[in-house]
Amino acid sequence: MNERERLLRQLSSVQFAAWELHMYLDTHKNDREARRIYNLKLARANELKMEFESKYGPLTINNENNDEWLCDPWPWEPKEDC
Amino acid sequence: MFMYEKKLQYPVNIKNPNPKYAQIIISQYGGPDGELGASLRYLSQRFSMPYPELKGLLTDIGTEELGHLEMIGAIVYQLTRNLSIEEIKKSGFDTYFVDHTTGIYTTAASGSPWNAASIAVKGDVIADIHEDLAAEQKARVTYDNILRLVDDPDVRDPIKFLREREIVHYQRFGDTLPQSCKLFA
Repeated sequence: MNERERLLRQLSSVQFAAWELHMYLDTHKNDREARRIYNLKLARANELKMEFESKYGPLTINNENNDEWLCDPWPWEPKEDC
Repeated sequence: MFMYEKKLQYPVNIKNPNPKYAQIIISQYGGPDGELGASLRYLSQRFSMPYPELKGLLTDIGTEELGHLEMIGAIVYQLTRNLSIEEIKKSGFDTYFVDHTTGIYTTAASGSPWNAASIAVKGDVIADIHEDLAAEQKARVTYDNILRLVDDPDVRDPIKFLREREIVHYQRFGDTLPQSCKLFA
């Protein structure tokens, strides 16, 4: 596993935890412990996303990164093509 | 509106192409219990939902299903790279290939194109949530069947992830039943 893939997996796992808690909170909005962990995971996911984007290019578009947005790899492309 | 994030929800890295597997797994792209139908069912049902919890949950699960649609597309794409004409003929993939080459098309494994008749939007909270609970179980069974037919660990790994998501979504929809039943209390 190369460095890009390692960081992407780390980001995805933290994002996944945040997403799971976010969905849970839709139907358990008064669960304060779940909301506390959600906020921690969300903050960590944002840090990791910024780190990933600074090294490997944008995951979401903004006004500054239009050129890099088009660069390969796209998510469905296998790693040996990267 | 929707914003795209340029990554898969869970990684797909398949080393060995296999057109037979692709022909089976395409059913979760455009088959009766696939991810396209799942997204459209939830993202459509939410408009007439009476409670914020249900609007939120249908929006979130419908959005996640779009990510699953992308994962299934990635699996089928990676399973059909660099095929020889011999492999295409031998595997039975020729019946798909003749119409779509190796493009990703919304079809069931049987060859029927995606059909809106496989989803329901009743505009009634009890009917729609029960439709969703059943839909998650039907998608889970389809993933179970794929796991019965596919041996390659590179393919099984993301399929197992998607199967688990059906179970979690079923639980989340189940959590809304006391809320949705308030209407009739």
